[in-house]
Parts: sequence; C-alpha cells; structure tokens
Amino acid sequence: MKLSTEAKAVLETSIRQRELSWEEIKELDELIAMMPDDRKRLYKNVVSNPIGDLPRYNIHIRIQHLLTFTTFLLLAFTGLPIYYNDAFWAEPFNNMLGGVEVTRVIHRTLAVVMIFSMVYHIGTLLFGTIQRIGARRFDIRRTIIPLWKDARDFKEDMLYFAGKRVQRPEMDKFMYKQKIHYFAAAFGNTVMVVSGSSFLFPDVWASILPSTVASHFQEIMRLSHPHEALLALLTIAFWHWYNVHLAPGRFPMQWTYLTGFITREHQMEEHFLEYLRCLVELPEERRLLREMLQERGLAQPVEEDAGALLQMDMVRSTVS
Amino acid sequence: MGWTTMKKGSREGVQRCTVRWGWWLAVTLLLLSGTQVMAFEDDEACLMCHKYPKMGRVTEEGVQKNYYILPDVFSRTVHRNVPCRDCHSEIKELPHKPLVQGVRCDSECHSVTNPSTGKPFSHKSINDAFKESVHGRQKVELGPDGDKPYCITCHTNPLYNAAEEAPPPHIIERCVVCHEDQQFSEKWYNHTSRRIREVKRSSQEIVAMCLSCHNDKELVERRVQLAKEEGRELGHKFPIAGESYQLSFHGKMTKYGTSDVANCLDCHAASENYYMSVHELRPSRDPVSPVHANNRVETCQRCHKVADANYAAIDPHPTSAKAINPFNYYAELIYTIVGDAVMIGLVGMAFVETVGRLRDGVSWRFVRGSSWRRRRNGLDN
Repeated sequence: MKLSTEAKAVLETSIRQRELSWEEIKELDELIAMMPDDRKRLYKNVVSNPIGDLPRYNIHIRIQHLLTFTTFLLLAFTGLPIYYNDAFWAEPFNNMLGGVEVTRVIHRTLAVVMIFSMVYHIGTLLFGTIQRIGARRFDIRRTIIPLWKDARDFKEDMLYFAGKRVQRPEMDKFMYKQKIHYFAAAFGNTVMVVSGSSFLFPDVWASILPSTVASHFQEIMRLSHPHEALLALLTIAFWHWYNVHLAPGRFPMQWTYLTGFITREHQMEEHFLEYLRCLVELPEERRLLREMLQERGLAQPVEEDAGALLQMDMVRSTVS
Repeated sequence: MGWTTMKKGSREGVQRCTVRWGWWLAVTLLLLSGTQVMAFEDDEACLMCHKYPKMGRVTEEGVQKNYYILPDVFSRTVHRNVPCRDCHSEIKELPHKPLVQGVRCDSECHSVTNPSTGKPFSHKSINDAFKESVHGRQKVELGPDGDKPYCITCHTNPLYNAAEEAPPPHIIERCVVCHEDQQFSEKWYNHTSRRIREVKRSSQEIVAMCLSCHNDKELVERRVQLAKEEGRELGHKFPIAGESYQLSFHGKMTKYGTSDVANCLDCHAASENYYMSVHELRPSRDPVSPVHANNRVETCQRCHKVADANYAAIDPHPTSAKAINPFNYYAELIYTIVGDAVMIGLVGMAFVETVGRLRDGVSWRFVRGSSWRRRRNGLDN
C-alpha cells in the first residue's frame, strides 16, 4: 500500500513518539507495503471480533458515557412532563413518580449527577492531555479538536456514499461525525446547565449580569432549556442511535462503550489513521495482520526497489 | 298445591316487606325534611314557592332562570342570617311581581346590625372602594363595562363556602354553659372560626377566577377595542395576561398545586391590608399599583428577599408574541429554524450513509452478536 502524505505524517509522529527500534520500523514498513492499495478490500476481509479487537476508550471515558447517557435519558423523561404540563400524558406520568414536586426533585438530582459527569470528563481531558504532553506523546490529530481535515473528510465521505469516490477518506481516531456530535453534546450540556441554574438561582444570575442583559438572559434561558433538550433528544434518537446501533454493519450495537474495544474492521474503515498508530503501538497487531494478509490472500507482492519499503524517510533518518 | 302456597306466602312476604320499608322511608323523609326546615329559618315564607325545583322561567332572550332555593345549601352560606327581603328589597307583597332591579351589594341589611357600629350592616364601604379600582363598575351596566366583574362574579358562595365542619362538641358544650341556645353557639362558632382560619382562596382558585375573564379572548378583544376607540392607554400585557402567566414558572407551579409561588393577587394586590387591597386593584401604569415600574423590586422582595432591579426586570408574563416581545419572537424563530435544519441535515446524512453502506455490501445481517458484511466465497471485493 502506498501511504498518503497524511498517513505518512501520522505514522512518522507515532513512530517517533513510541521510539520504535529500527527492526520494528522495518517490520512495519514491510507490513504496510504488503497491505492492498484498496482499503475496502482490506477492511471487508479482515477477521474481527464483534465485541472488539483494538483499544479505543479507557475506563474513565466509558464511565462518563454511562453516567451521561443514563442521566440524559432520565432528565429528558422527567423534564418533558414538567415542560409539557398541559399534555394529556404529563399528569399521569408525574403522578406515577409521586407528583410533580417529586419529578422536580428527581430532575434536579439527576442534573447534579450529569454535572459531576461533565466535571469528571473535563478533569480526565485535562490530566490526560498534561500526561501525554509530559510523555511527549501528544498529537492534536488524535484528539477530538476539529481540524480542516474533518471538513474535507466530510465532503469526501458523502461523495463516497453517493458513489462518486472509490474509497472512504483516511480518517483519524475521531472522525467528523464524532466531532460534530461531541461538540453538539458539549454545547447542549453547557446550555442545559446554565439555563437550569438560571431557573434555580434567578436572583444570582440577575445580580451578576448587567441590567441591560439580565431580563433578556432569563428569557433566552427559558426558551433554550426546552428547545435544546428536545433537539438533543431528537439528535440522540435519530442520529446517535442510528450511527452506533442501527446503521448497516453496526446493528445491534457497537460494543465499544462497554468493552472499550473497537472491531478491527471498523477501525480500518472509519479510523484508518488510528489503525496505523495501533500497528505502531501493538506488536501483536502487526503479527496478526501479517498472518491475516497471508492466509486470506490479501497481501500484495512487495518490490523492494520500487520504493514501497521504507517509505518513511524522515523516520528512518531520525532513528538512524 | 305447593306452588299456590308458595305464591301466597310470597305475596304476603312482599306486602310485609313493602310496609316495613315504607315505614322506614317515611321516617327517613320526615327526618330529612325536618333537617331542611331546621337549617333555614324562613320567617318570610319565601320557600312556600321557592322550595319547588321547577320554580323558574325562560326569559324573552331565551335564558333559563332558576329560582329554586335549596335551604340546606343556603343555610351554609355567609348570608344565611339575612332575611331574603333585606337584599330583595323590591318585594313588598306576596306573590311578588317580577324583580327588575336585582340585588345591590351596597344596600343596607335592615335586619342585621353591625356589632362594631350598631348600625345596619352594609358592604357599602368596600363596594365604594371596588368602584374606584380597575375593575370598578355599577351594579347595572348595560354598556361595555358590563364585561367587568361585579361582586358576585368573584364571590360565588359555592367557591367561598365549602361544606362546614361540624363544630367540635367540646367547644359547643362550653359555649352553651352561658349561651343556652345551641344553634346560636354553632352559628357563632362557624362565623368566627371561618374568619380566624385562613379564608383566602387557594392559588389555583384565585388563578381560575382571574382567568375566567382574562383568558376569555372575546371579552379581552372587546376591552382592547374599546380602549382603542376611547384613545385610552391599556397595559401592553393585558391581551395575553392569562396565557402568559400560565407559561411562567409561577403559573406552571400553581397549576401543579404549589402555593409557594405567586398567584395573580400576590403581585397585583398590596400585601398590607390584603383583603381590602384585592378590591382596589390598579393598572400597572398607576403609581399606586404594586406592579408599577417603581414598585416592582419591593413587590418581588415579598417572596424573593434578595431581588434587585435586575431581578425585577425579569418578565413574569413571558411571551413570544412579536408585537409585545420581538426579542423573544426572533429568538424562538431562530431556535426553530436551527433545530429543524439540524434535524433535516442529520437525518439526511444518515439516509445518504445508509444508501452508501448498503451499496458497499454491508447489511443488517445479524451474526455473532453483530451485523456483518455479506461475504461471497470467503473474500469480498
């Protein structure tokens, strides 16, 4: 396989950060050369464990996701009957929980848990980033931060699905869809927390905001809380659940949020650049891939003088 | 033979049963009728006619009028001690002619003396105060002010007087030691204890009472039109006062039965001398009104102790009506457009992806705990 400039850059950074030996680089170089140029042929035919093959999310991220989605759903189920208090189903639902006063207490308690989850997540991000920078293993392309490449990936991916491209783009650990969703959720959570706090502590917000803003702020918050909640619920129901549960090839669910592992097939298809990092970081994966390529007849012949080998000139010079 | 005996015996049994139950029924009816008679002292013999449930007529406008008086109900109202003709003073003879003037609440009760002044009892003073309020009107209003409430619009006896509890025996027993007439003691107890207990209506009752007019779109429209014709200023929230309150936190919580939040009168009436104040409501542009711009902070502080000018600027009657609050109108419009666009975009993206993935050979085929690709002959291109 001939690597793209972006893939080479990712690989070079990863090799440098992991301080691979010359032998390991050579092994990796050979392995990449053996991989078929058609990535579709690769990811459609590798062996994958549906429960997951390659590490993706650590235990903290999985706990945060668990806390967030449970509190989110319960907040929606308790918040909607409070907001749509005139609807025929609202009163029976509130009565089922012990009355609207109880629903409100449950709603606020869940909000506290969700805020804890947010704080926990921000803490994890901060400490994790500091740790990686300290260990010289930080790579912005591997983070959730949106880059221009994501816009290109989005365009190329849509063209692929429309039949106008032969391959999906080489995407990183977090692809454009995940970044959209993550920042939509982050924005939504912030709006919900701020607006919710403005309902609970209107006097505090009124005292800290300028007089020209205070009234409008409260109005905007009053509109934002239900609108954002409904938008988030619909986005989760129609898009997030589609992507992780209902999309062909993902049904009935991706197990990553529970196991922390992603399937090899999925990693190669949608996170190819991250898969290259896995090859750098996991010697076992290099061995397994080599066996798979050979056993399943996927390996393409390597011509030593054709430049397929040792593509990573920069790394080679660095290591040597 | 057996059948005949049984038939005869059965007939006698039925007769005995009928007599026995008839006896009990008669006693019960007698007791009940006695209770009714005792409940209402009809010295003027008005019940001679008004005891009949069918007592009524259909007016020339086609309105059905019912003149039936239920003594047991009337005897539980605040006016139970007032003879009929103290209010229906037009009546001079029996049978009387059709009444045309109706009852005025500011007339004097000749039979009831105000114990504090020794003069005939009257609602004149509070009626005069009411007439000066924003709701003020005359008893007979044939013009546009007929839309305004009169005393009985709000003071409906069923709303005001729930079934009275039986006076506690240990108190009545003590009263009759000196006040020998037990009936007098019970009446006196009910009269005073009702006022010693909280007589204010619940928040839901107050809101329902106010909204019965302020949520009447035709009535509100007539008032708006009238103010326009007269070139009179009208509060800009007047047309949406009811519905906007229901949208507010105060309105929602009141609907759910919480009495800790403000109802209409908690803000629009003064907290001092509350019971007089609710009869003297003023429009918000009146400097005396608790919701006048200069008084709002103080009014908010009745409940929200730390409220300041910023806090008092928060709208208790939120609305997104363009003419009243364009800021909210456009904010809501933007939210709606963005929300719809996001959903259409995301669902569209999911649709394109589904088509692409199906073309790519991925399906919803369920294998080994997950859906998987359709593989042909081991390898798939």
